[in-house]
Amino acid sequence: MAVEQALTWLQDLNFPTQIRESVWLFPTIETVHVFALVLVVGSIMTVDLRLLGLANRERPFSELAREMLPWTWVAFAVAAVAGLLMFSSKALIYYGNIPFRIKMCCLLLAGINMALFHWLGTRHLETWDRKQPPKPAKFAGGASLLLWTTIVAAGRWIGFTT
Amino acid sequence: MIEQFCDWLSRTNVSVAFQSADWFVPLVQTVHIIAIAILLTSVYVLSFRLIGLTRGAQSLATLSAKSTPWFWTALCVLLVSGTLLTITEPARELLNWAFRVKMLMVLTLAGVLWMVQLRMRQNPEYWTESPARRHAARAVGLVAVIVGAGIVTAGRWIAYV
Repeated sequence: MAVEQALTWLQDLNFPTQIRESVWLFPTIETVHVFALVLVVGSIMTVDLRLLGLANRERPFSELAREMLPWTWVAFAVAAVAGLLMFSSKALIYYGNIPFRIKMCCLLLAGINMALFHWLGTRHLETWDRKQPPKPAKFAGGASLLLWTTIVAAGRWIGFTT
Repeated sequence: MIEQFCDWLSRTNVSVAFQSADWFVPLVQTVHIIAIAILLTSVYVLSFRLIGLTRGAQSLATLSAKSTPWFWTALCVLLVSGTLLTITEPARELLNWAFRVKMLMVLTLAGVLWMVQLRMRQNPEYWTESPARRHAARAVGLVAVIVGAGIVTAGRWIAYV
């Protein structure tokens, strides 16, 4: 299959081979991935809990989001690069791994949820910025919380199934 | 001595029950990671303000007061989930130098955060009222950032050493 040929080509490249064969390279990249991921999850959860009205209720949503989202994006970029390197080292194994596929699906859904909230959920932000968010915004916060928890769980499950 | 304790603990009914459930370790590790996410984010947001790398609408004292319950609650969840993981696989944790380094760093971070929060409860301007204090705030913030990263690093390397 074309996908499997492409993944074989990817994992046989020089650096992915080095990652796979080195004793310390994979754990080091994995450490960077986990470190960045916990900052992604922590910063996103802070915003999600505000949307759900469970934390930082007295703070304007826009102010909190402005402070937290740079953490999310920088950490996400680092986590994504480290994740791609890890994937490249055992691409065929990860491709066939169910928890990995669940993680990727949840990542995609979390991205769609975030984009929808950004485009639609913040349209009348000035009306609820300092109050309880409307139901669609709460739903976006709840969905994000659930998706990111699943991403962490699926990510952890990968280690027990590969 | 520790080896004997690990051996005894791993044979207890509780440990055997945890070991026999395939889902138990991944589930507890998931809770553990989410607690680290909350703890590390609260530490880093506060530490970056102490260092002067970020600015925010809230004062440093307000930020510290807000992050305090999150930090200590997350630390409690970490300790409970960490204890469950240790009961399940005592030798993997207690005989591992990465685990011991991690515990030392957790204690260090808890001490640093307790000191930062205590000073600000006594005097909200403590870390900003003089150039010397601002230098001290930068140093303390830097220590918290490094130790926080060290906890994640040591935690992950438990699986490899």
